[in-house]
Amino acid sequence: MAKLYTGGIVLIEAELKKKRISGDYGFFIFKLQEEIENPDAGQFVMLKAPDEPILAKPFSIYSYKNRELILFIKRVGRLTGRIFSSPIGEIFYVRGPHGNPYVSSIDLTKRYILVGGGSGISPLNFFSELHPELTYTKLYGFKEGHIRKLFNENEQKHLVIEEETGHTVVDVLNELISKEVGIIACGPIPMLKNLPKNAYVSLEAVMGCGIGTCKSCAVKTTDGIKLVCKDGPLFRKEEITWEWI
Amino acid sequence: MGVDLSIEVFGIQFKNPIVLASGPAGFGFELQPYLDFSKIGAITLKTITVKPRDGNPPPRLVDAYGGIINSIGLQNPGIKGFITEIVPELNKLDTIKIGSIAGFNLEEWQLLVEEMDKIKEIPLIELNLSCPNIKGKRRWAEDVKLTQEVVKTARELTNKPIIVKLAPDVTDIIEIAKAAAEAGADGLTIGNGIQGMRINVETGLPVLKLKTGGLGGPAIKPITLARVFKTSEVLDIPIIGIGGIMNWQDALEYAMAGASLLGIGTAVMVDPKSPTAILSGIEAFLKRKKIERFRDIIGIAHRGGFSVS
Repeated sequence: MAKLYTGGIVLIEAELKKKRISGDYGFFIFKLQEEIENPDAGQFVMLKAPDEPILAKPFSIYSYKNRELILFIKRVGRLTGRIFSSPIGEIFYVRGPHGNPYVSSIDLTKRYILVGGGSGISPLNFFSELHPELTYTKLYGFKEGHIRKLFNENEQKHLVIEEETGHTVVDVLNELISKEVGIIACGPIPMLKNLPKNAYVSLEAVMGCGIGTCKSCAVKTTDGIKLVCKDGPLFRKEEITWEWI
Repeated sequence: MGVDLSIEVFGIQFKNPIVLASGPAGFGFELQPYLDFSKIGAITLKTITVKPRDGNPPPRLVDAYGGIINSIGLQNPGIKGFITEIVPELNKLDTIKIGSIAGFNLEEWQLLVEEMDKIKEIPLIELNLSCPNIKGKRRWAEDVKLTQEVVKTARELTNKPIIVKLAPDVTDIIEIAKAAAEAGADGLTIGNGIQGMRINVETGLPVLKLKTGGLGGPAIKPITLARVFKTSEVLDIPIIGIGGIMNWQDALEYAMAGASLLGIGTAVMVDPKSPTAILSGIEAFLKRKKIERFRDIIGIAHRGGFSVS
């Protein structure tokens, strides 16, 4: 078992079992030593490498069953770089689930178009798995076509690849919008800003603790400062002060 | 053999030396599902200012090798909000609460001390003279006279023990520590984040919106540890040692350097359960060394270490 730099750490051990990578995106399957408690879509885990960097980082759950945690990750920094280059069998550490399930904040009488951009598709996939009755359709936006090979035939139907069609995921969404159907979106800030007014947006933020104590993931809203980890990650698009982010 | 982890400082009995540092633990409530507060010595609450503060725009936090840089910017509900919203809930935390305050001028310090003095749930007051994350404001703890002024002002207004949180990155911390003690401080917290920054090479811009922030975590431990050691060498005043305590060994180093209480900040962010894990490590160490009381190792590095027999 890998020794942790931090000594007295008591996080759940997560062994990297499988990975499938294309460019800067990849699926990573971890087997956890213990269950995390009933995770629901929109919730995230804090994942930590056994050594540097010292902080755990938040990752939305793509799928979870029987101690098997699937994360869909974009390579952006040191920790994600480390996950991409890690050999199978590497031990990481997780805790969670943190954050609120989407179902605790959305109108449950509606069905939803799930609009994802890049690694933002993660919580949306988990949502469609757990709540098919609330899912109208899925739109997964990516810039480059190489991403196709990470998805099976059925999943590929939901991909919106910009370099292939010249359309963004928001362009496609605009053709589908109706009053009866809601929108839940997760992805880069420019994408979220382009969404229609009534959309729910799932925010990503730099987090220190993931549980509401450190105040790192603050977001300004019409109701004052809120935290993505504790009050979110889901907000209504119109309640966010976008210029503050 | 049982180990006595308790320690009496500032006339207050702490069941053990572990103190959650101001900031990363917020007001403690969110940590409750993870951490048994009855098992830790104390919590220093998030710093309160006179007016509510939104804090700085994000990003407010970034990794650095061996540490993290934050520029939260004292986000807090202000003293009125603190009294109405937070104080009535504080009895839920079964540990000693240290109130932390920061004024932007002497009048504000005065008001904050007066208000803190009235709050019965808070038996000690920490003056945060060293927050590194306030735009355009100089840190009080960079200046001997300013430090003295604030401590004197506070001393006149309260009989509660006053702890002064000093900045580790000053030219001569001993001079400032002495000034604080002479002005009536009962204890010192050494230290706080050290100013640091990172630049995103793709954009060519600072990562943090505030540009710079306070570096905390393992990277600063040797620096703050040395300041605890040097200060305790010349001043007989209780010290809360803070800076990069991630495990029980780090905690013991601070105790051996002369700290009576051991502040945990960054480690709580990594693992909310780490304070109790650190405490267990200290206990096991003392048992192994056949030392009955934690307080016997405080400052042992000044006294020739453990005697070899």
